[in-house]
Amino acid sequence: MSDVAAVEVKNLVKDFKGPFRGGKVHAVRDVSLTIAPGEVYGLIGPNGSGKSTTMKAVLGLVAPTSGMCAIFGRNSTKVDSRSEVGFLPENPYFYKHLTGAETVKFYGRLCGMKGLELKHRVEEMLELVGLQDARDRRLKGFSKGMLQRIGLAQALVQDPKLVVLDEPTAGVDPVGSREIRDLILELKNRGVTVFLCSHLLEQVQEICDRVGIIHQGVLVNEGRLDDLISLEDKTELILENASAELMEQIRSLVEVTHGAGVISEGRARTTLESLFLKETQSKTTGVPAKSRRVSK
Amino acid sequence: MSRPVATSFFSPRRSLIIAQSTVTQLVRMKVFYFLAPIALLFLGLQFFDAFWYEGPEALMPEQELRMHKNLCLGTMMLFTSLFAIVSTALLIPGDIEDRTLYTILCKPVPRLDYLVGKLFGVIAVIFIAMVVMDVLLVATLHFRTEEKLIETTAYMTKIGYPEREIEAGRAEISAHGPTLLLQFGVISHFLKACVIAAVALLISTFSTSTLFTIATSVMIWIIGAFQSIARDGLFNDAEFGDVPTWADKIVGTLVSLIFPDFQLFEAISDGAARAEDVLPADMAQLAGLSVLYVGIYVVLSWFVFSDKEF
Repeated sequence: MSDVAAVEVKNLVKDFKGPFRGGKVHAVRDVSLTIAPGEVYGLIGPNGSGKSTTMKAVLGLVAPTSGMCAIFGRNSTKVDSRSEVGFLPENPYFYKHLTGAETVKFYGRLCGMKGLELKHRVEEMLELVGLQDARDRRLKGFSKGMLQRIGLAQALVQDPKLVVLDEPTAGVDPVGSREIRDLILELKNRGVTVFLCSHLLEQVQEICDRVGIIHQGVLVNEGRLDDLISLEDKTELILENASAELMEQIRSLVEVTHGAGVISEGRARTTLESLFLKETQSKTTGVPAKSRRVSK
Repeated sequence: MSRPVATSFFSPRRSLIIAQSTVTQLVRMKVFYFLAPIALLFLGLQFFDAFWYEGPEALMPEQELRMHKNLCLGTMMLFTSLFAIVSTALLIPGDIEDRTLYTILCKPVPRLDYLVGKLFGVIAVIFIAMVVMDVLLVATLHFRTEEKLIETTAYMTKIGYPEREIEAGRAEISAHGPTLLLQFGVISHFLKACVIAAVALLISTFSTSTLFTIATSVMIWIIGAFQSIARDGLFNDAEFGDVPTWADKIVGTLVSLIFPDFQLFEAISDGAARAEDVLPADMAQLAGLSVLYVGIYVVLSWFVFSDKEF
C-alpha cells in the first residue's frame, strides 16, 4: 500500500459570496481529512452542511478560499490530479442525445483511451452496471436508476484508483441501491479508494471503513466506523434458539453482577430493506442476473 | 489498463473528441432541418423573374442574377450568424445547468480543451450547413445563368446585335454566375459566423443564462455591423462637420478594439454579389483577421472560464 494518501484535505476553507454586498457564506470551515488508499470513506451530514462543496474542492470544481486538497499527492486544482479519479455527481445528467454505449465511450476517450482497449472496456462497464440491453438506447429514455448506473460506468471507465460518489443511490429503488452498494464493496475488494457523500446513514454504516460527520461546514467528528458507533458501556448479545430456561439463567446471572443490568430484551429484527429484497427477489421471475449475483 | 500520463494545458485530441460530440449533439437536435426552408427559398428564386426588367431592361439580366446572389448570400449570412449565436449560447450554459460539465471536467480535461472543442463543434456544423447552402446556391445560380445566357443570346440575335456585342453581353452575364468570386462571398460569411460564435462563447463563459448570452451576442453583432459607420462619424470631420474630441476618439478606438468590425466581411460579400474585383490578397487578409478575432475571444473565454466555479 502506498504511503501517499488517496485524498488529503488540509484546513479547507470555502466561502461564497453572500446575498448582500460584502457578505460571505461560510460553506466549509477549516476541514481536514485524510483518506488512505483502498479505504471507503463516508462523509455524512445534513443538507447544506458542506459535503458537496468539500467534494467539489477535492475534484477541483471549486477553488479553496484557503487550505488545500490533494489526490494521490497532486494538488486538486491541477488537471493531472483527475487522471486517477472517477466521479458520479448527485442526480447525474449526461448528454441525452448519446446512447448508453456512446456515453461510456465518450468519457473513456476523454481519459485518453482508444481502440480495442476502449471497446472492451465499454462492454465491460455496461455489463458491470447491468445495462447491456440498453447499450444502444439514448439516455433521454433512461430512468433515474439507469442514469445513476450509466454514471457509475462512466466514473469507472478508466479504471480509476479513486472513486468519488455524491449520493450514489439517490432516487434509486432498493434493488438498484443494493447493487450499487455491492459494487462499492467490490471496488473496495479491488483496492479502489471510495469517497462517498451521503445522508443515508444506514448505507454509509454498511460500507464505510471510516466516517466524517460534517455540520455547518465543520467536521465535527471523524474516525473508524466501529469506534464511532460502539457504545463503551453496553454489550449486545444475539442468541439463536435460546430456551426460556437459558434466558432465565442469563437474567439471574446479570442480576447478581454488581453494576450490570438488562436494558432491553426482545426478538432480533431484520431491516425493512432486507425484508423488501427477500420478498421481491424470491417472488419475481426474471430478476437480472446481476441482481442475483450481487445480492446477499 | 493504461495509466494516464501528465496532461498538457491543451490537447487537440481531446478538443476534437468534444467537437465531435458537439457535432453529434447538434445533428441529433435536428438543426439541419432549418436547411429545408432555405433550400426551398433558393429553389423558389429560380422561378422568380423580376417583372420590372421587361422591355429594353431585359437586356440587363445580370441585375436578376445579382438579386439572386444577394438574397442567397443574405439568407446564408442570417442563418449562419443566428445559428452561431444560438447554438453556442445553448451548449455551454446547458452543460452547466445539467451538470454534464461536472463529469467532463472531473476527467483529465483542461478547460481550454472543452472551450475549443465546443467552439469547433459549432464551427464544424456551420461549415457543413454552409457547404450544403453553397452547393444549392451554385446549382441554382448555374441553371439561372445558363437560362439567361440562352434568353439573352436569342433576344440580342433576334434584334440584330453584332456578334462582338453579343459576346460582351454573354461575358457580363457569366461574370454574375457561379464564379470563384462568389465563393469569396460565401467564405466571408462563414468567417463572420466563426467570429460571432467566438463572441457568443466568450459571453457564455460569464453569463448566467442562455437568454442573456443570445441577447448580448445579437447586440454585439449589430454593433459590429454598424461600428465602421459610427467610426466614420467620429473621425471624419469633413463629412459630418464636427471636429472629433479626444473623448470621441478614445470611445471610437475602444469600440473598434472590443467589437469586431463585421462591415469588413460585408464588403467582401457585397463585392462578390456585384461581381466586382475582390483580390485573393483581400480574402487572405480577412481570413487572417478572423483567425485573430477568434483567437482573442478564445483566450479571453479561457481567462474567464479557467477560474469559474461550478
